[in-house]
Amino acid sequence: MMNKKQCVAMLLAGGQGSRLGILTADMAKPAVPYGGKYRIIDFPLSNCTNSAIDVVGVLTQYQPLELNAYIGSGSPWDLDLAHGGVYVLPPYQKGKSGEWYSGTANAIYQNLKFIEQFDPEYVLILSGDHIYKMDYNAMLKFHIEKGADCTIAVREVPWEEASRFGIMNTGEGSVIEEFEEKPANPKSNKASMGVYIFTWEKLRKYLTEDAANPNSSNDFGKNIIPTMLNEGQRMYAYDFEGYWKDVGTIESLWEANMDLLEMPMPIDLYDKKWRIYSRNPGKAPHFVAEGGSARNSLLTEGCEVYGRVEHSILFAGVTVKEGAVVEDSVIMPGAVIERGAVVRRAIIAEGAVIGAGSMIGEETGNIAVVGQQANLPAGSVVKAGEQRAE
Amino acid sequence: MKNVMGVIYTGEKDSFLRELTLLRAIAAVPVAGRYRVIDFIVSGMVNSGMRNVGVIMQKNYHSLMDHLGSGKEWDLHGKNDGLYILPPFLTRDNVGVYSGSLDALHSNMNYLKRSRQEYVLIANSLILFNPNYQDMFARYMESGCDVMMMYTKNPDMQRPEYGCYLDVDENGVVTDIEIDPTKPRYENTGMDVLIMRKDLLIDLVDRGASHGYHELVRDVLQRMTRDAALTVHGYEYKDVCFRMDSVQSYFKFNLAMLDSKTRHELFKDDRPVYTKVRDEMPARYMDEAKIVNSMVADGCIINGTVEHSVLFRGVKIAKGASVKNCIIMQDCVIEEGVHLENCILDKQARIKRNGNLIGPSAYPIVISKNMTI
Repeated sequence: MMNKKQCVAMLLAGGQGSRLGILTADMAKPAVPYGGKYRIIDFPLSNCTNSAIDVVGVLTQYQPLELNAYIGSGSPWDLDLAHGGVYVLPPYQKGKSGEWYSGTANAIYQNLKFIEQFDPEYVLILSGDHIYKMDYNAMLKFHIEKGADCTIAVREVPWEEASRFGIMNTGEGSVIEEFEEKPANPKSNKASMGVYIFTWEKLRKYLTEDAANPNSSNDFGKNIIPTMLNEGQRMYAYDFEGYWKDVGTIESLWEANMDLLEMPMPIDLYDKKWRIYSRNPGKAPHFVAEGGSARNSLLTEGCEVYGRVEHSILFAGVTVKEGAVVEDSVIMPGAVIERGAVVRRAIIAEGAVIGAGSMIGEETGNIAVVGQQANLPAGSVVKAGEQRAE
Repeated sequence: MKNVMGVIYTGEKDSFLRELTLLRAIAAVPVAGRYRVIDFIVSGMVNSGMRNVGVIMQKNYHSLMDHLGSGKEWDLHGKNDGLYILPPFLTRDNVGVYSGSLDALHSNMNYLKRSRQEYVLIANSLILFNPNYQDMFARYMESGCDVMMMYTKNPDMQRPEYGCYLDVDENGVVTDIEIDPTKPRYENTGMDVLIMRKDLLIDLVDRGASHGYHELVRDVLQRMTRDAALTVHGYEYKDVCFRMDSVQSYFKFNLAMLDSKTRHELFKDDRPVYTKVRDEMPARYMDEAKIVNSMVADGCIINGTVEHSVLFRGVKIAKGASVKNCIIMQDCVIEEGVHLENCILDKQARIKRNGNLIGPSAYPIVISKNMTI
């Protein structure tokens, strides 16, 4: 038996994130780079550390190698502990059975024994899909005060977008009365953030029953939460008011990056009391040469700029050569923009090389994407909205 | 190189770095935008495969200890080996102040003895370079010599009345060592890096201390080389290296990082330089930012003009301010309308609105830590 923990976090990181197209061809969505030096998973992991939640199980399934390597021992988030820390939990063989995670609830169900090692009272369920800073501990306090069986974090979204989300209809004292998945005519604009706290005893019961039901799709949103509601469990909505951005599509990932170029930033990443930690690549400070320039942009370690960078985000080790122009774009780690190439409204994935004189993206229209390690020959053209894997 | 332990001596005389070493050892002096001098030395050892590194501290070692911590950033937090911080301590026959490297090694005999490695590599913190010691160690093993000393032919490393110079014959044998000559007679400048068997070092230190000697090279190796009591071989280091021995050389080194060729020679992808991570946001360039030929670390916010300068982490340059030929350390604030030229600003300095500081390029102005002007 390990040391008892009050609350254990389980981070669902197995999704493919297929709406991110070629960006998630070789990596799980939580490993996708964001904001110049982060990956999406840095946000929930740092939130855990900052909320003093020190056991985090990361459930992986789809293309886990990059994510596993990134998490490593957990030391960047201070989660390399003797008692607790971060654990990567892929599906595994159990006696004669052994199966993939069939849904979000099933992923947790298959790791009941992992959770039981810590004998927790509460379990926090997280996803690796959003950019936000949140004090899970404050939510846990709310859950305990309400004597809830399940607390779901909700955030108000614009009414016209409410039909894209799982919507919570609440009554007196934030009690959840109804849950509607993507309702055509929403009665509320409180969207589920995919952040749940369960009282462990209750969750274990419902997961076990759900696993025994052959008709269930073993999903929190579709099965566990509606069933608990139907059976009259104490379910509460916890209002969250800060920045919360889904980065599930190319456009929203690009927008969330561009948000960081606003001043004041809609999400304050300078906050020393709530640092977002990341694995450091150990490169020298960036360099802007004679003839190079940078404006309204974020640049990080290892970048070398000999061309012009406007309103863009450059990740570690990016090179922008002489005469190249980068505008309104996100250039991921190690990418090289060769001489005279023009990149506009584009996402260039890790390690891609954009040949000299290429034209990537356009001033208007959808975001152009060049995939990981792609090597585009000189003079390539990638139109707005196009995705080029190689 | 798991069988080689590293010992770094950080107790050198540091008065020539003036304000920069007022509150810290040379090893802890901030360089190249996000590093301290010691990062290069420790990273070089780790990148060469060494797993046991001891850092002998002498004075002002608070910031050095704070920086090195558990050694985690260098992957030196192992169970058996790892990073050992060796501050001075008082005993009946150790007064805590070392008069030289031999004294320091003598005080730390127990660390040497209990380490499992059979070989020792000794370095100090006055020379900044990014070595891989594997080749030197292989040559040491092949040659069968007692001691191997690293040297460079880089003429910029020579100093009048200062330094260690080697006469090396065509077989690589060191036949003479000169220390602090008015005019160096040999083109080979010692880099204060030695490799030898640990038992030999323990013996030399013990014998030296019993004769009242203080310096390993000057008092022991020089004599024994001349008397041919030991076979000492030289190893030429051919990559870039810099000496940190004056405000001018400090200034020159940092500005040399703005030359892409020199920078790429020092920072190689296969030899990363590790340092304590601050988890700052990337640097932000605002609407009015103009940047030319400069190195900028994370956490900076720039809305003014930066030319031919090195900015450490978290520096703020306000709108309408301009800096040229400057080294600006961590968390300095340059307010609106300020003009700086040929300055070195130590950490957390603040230059108030419309201030004007222009130093001569040969003798930069140094602003001490936490100063507001």
